[in-house]
Amino acid sequence: MLLSQHASAMRPLNVYLVVYISLVFGTLQALSEDFCIFRMTLRNFRVILSWELRNHSIVPTHYTLWYTIMSKPEDMKVVKDCTEVTGSFCDLTNVWESMPETYVPRVVAFRGNTTLVSCTSRESIFPGINMSLEPPNFEIVGFTDHIKVIVKFPPVIPKILRGEGLHVYLSLVIEEVSGGIIKKHKPKINAKTITGNFTYVIDNLIPNTNHCVSVYFEHSDVGKIIESPTKCTLLKPGQESESSESAKIGGLITMFLILVVFISTIVILQHTGYICLKNKFPKVLNFYNFSAWVFAELPPLEAVALLEVIHVKRKKKVWDYNYDDESDSDNEATPRTNAGGYTMHGLTGRPLCPASGSSSTVEDCCDPDAEETDLPEPEAECESLMAPGPGPWPPECTSEADEGRGTRLEDRFSEEDGSSTEGSGDRIIFNVDLNSVFVRVLDDNSEVPPELSLPEDSTELEDPNETETNLLVASGGGTQPSFPVECLWSEDSPSETSDTSESDVDTRDGYITR
Amino acid sequence: MSAKAGVIQKCLWLVCLVGLFIPHILSLDCNSLDFHLRRLTWQNLRFLNSMSNSFPVECLRESKAFELPKEILSYTQPLKRDIRETFYEISKQAFNIFSRYAFQSIWEEKHLRQIQIGLDQQLQYLEQCLTEEEKENEDMKQMEKDEGKHPGAMVSQLSNLNLKRYFRRIGIFLKDKKFSHCAREIVRLEIIRCFYYFLRFTAPPRRK
Repeated sequence: MLLSQHASAMRPLNVYLVVYISLVFGTLQALSEDFCIFRMTLRNFRVILSWELRNHSIVPTHYTLWYTIMSKPEDMKVVKDCTEVTGSFCDLTNVWESMPETYVPRVVAFRGNTTLVSCTSRESIFPGINMSLEPPNFEIVGFTDHIKVIVKFPPVIPKILRGEGLHVYLSLVIEEVSGGIIKKHKPKINAKTITGNFTYVIDNLIPNTNHCVSVYFEHSDVGKIIESPTKCTLLKPGQESESSESAKIGGLITMFLILVVFISTIVILQHTGYICLKNKFPKVLNFYNFSAWVFAELPPLEAVALLEVIHVKRKKKVWDYNYDDESDSDNEATPRTNAGGYTMHGLTGRPLCPASGSSSTVEDCCDPDAEETDLPEPEAECESLMAPGPGPWPPECTSEADEGRGTRLEDRFSEEDGSSTEGSGDRIIFNVDLNSVFVRVLDDNSEVPPELSLPEDSTELEDPNETETNLLVASGGGTQPSFPVECLWSEDSPSETSDTSESDVDTRDGYITR
Repeated sequence: MSAKAGVIQKCLWLVCLVGLFIPHILSLDCNSLDFHLRRLTWQNLRFLNSMSNSFPVECLRESKAFELPKEILSYTQPLKRDIRETFYEISKQAFNIFSRYAFQSIWEEKHLRQIQIGLDQQLQYLEQCLTEEEKENEDMKQMEKDEGKHPGAMVSQLSNLNLKRYFRRIGIFLKDKKFSHCAREIVRLEIIRCFYYFLRFTAPPRRK
């Protein structure tokens, strides 16, 4: 009775114990072989397998990755590069190289030397369908009307993509967004030949607009994508650049036209004579002679002598065809002018010499204490009598001193001429540039004025019909006339060659004209 | 009754419209059929991949190498007609395999129906394209066959024979494993691999 009662009591306990053990055993088994969440990703053209334990309370220190394929009955193989790794991911670029293959991975988690868990994938991994495609790295360069997209490809494409053909598995998509409009560009890429960066140009864009570009991989016919970060750029304003260029060109053309017009205007004015008249000066007037500047020669001093012209009014002598009377021509005081506009001044003068027969020079005659009172300015006369050059006066002058006590330089024709004369009453005092006036020298005896030799710088302006007589000329600049500079110029003395009383006009009487 | 009649009328209109378009779709050129075939193949691949939510690790012990023909593995530049014929054979065999599946659950039944429908569509596309090409090249094939200048025909016959042997091995495997879960999983993965190889043949031409 008691045994049966004990047996009946032991049966539920056994059952409970068996159940408890089986549960514990099952739990242990579940822990040892669990499912992990595996993710296969193509990141920067690297095949990356990452995993995540379902039980987050388990924190292992390192992992070891195993795998096998379904097409061949093979045991699990350990990945050498993913043995005892601390991170929960592994690079399988050089391990999983076949796209149509089905891979079954297994991860064993450790903590130290203790195996915490061994997990496999709930689903087999088929890269053609299960591998996620992360977007590649890219750069964009914005221009005026186009954008250059540079997609960074590795030097060598992974074999998993090369073997099956990249275009079969995925396609590169370059998405361009502008103004709410999305445009997709799908350039074809040959995975077997592409090396390095891949450049794609998005053209026919509107300048001065903002464009955003996104690059990502799209799974062929599956449509699964992973969005990529968008990069935006503002295109350069094309109109401004074009307008600036056109403005520059227009400005250059305008400046060129203005310059051409200006130059042509100047040339025309020059040819017509309005500007830049050519000055063909004679050599004597060429003052830009450098040698003359360097070795400048002093201009010849103007022989200026102070003359006192004593104007004597004389009546005009009317010749009555009578050769008997020889009237005094002293009354003639009408100045004559030639057609050339020159004012003829006839100067008469007598040397002022002392009464003694001494051979005193004119200087002696020009003693200011001379008794001659009619000569208020004997010094001036003396100065006028005196040649500017060296050398004494000819001694003839002294011989004439006996005839008179002084000389008077009389200008018969300067009665009304006051431009270069000064004087009061009958006296005219003016400064005469002896190199610029005509001079006739009268001879005392023959009363024929000897011919004079003109200075070298005198010009020839001969007008024998119009020149007047009694022009005093004196040599300047050191030249000394060879003639006796007779102090008396008298028109009274008729010349032999003159037929009329107006022979003074005739230059043939000895006048030297320019 | 009136509501049901209205629904039937609407369905009839839809069926008529679909019926008008189906011949047009099926009469498309083989080049455009390749596009549809490629799209359909990818769809079937997704169906096959999602058919099982887990792969038992213990099934790895029962895996078997069915030895897919090397002509398919090392496909380079075969004639298009040959490859269409090959894929037609693959699709037909796969359809037969999945038709003999024993439904284990409602989930599997739903996915199997999708696979069967997809495979049936593949077969229709291929039949249409092959029939048209056969009519056009019938004379040429006769001439080349007489002259023996068509080595590709021998290759295609050989590849089809190897392909039939390949699927026969799969059938025998299923029978031996009595259509176990692991056997079906292994066969499912093998068909996925076979379909993916075919996708390389139907890849769109590269744009220059």
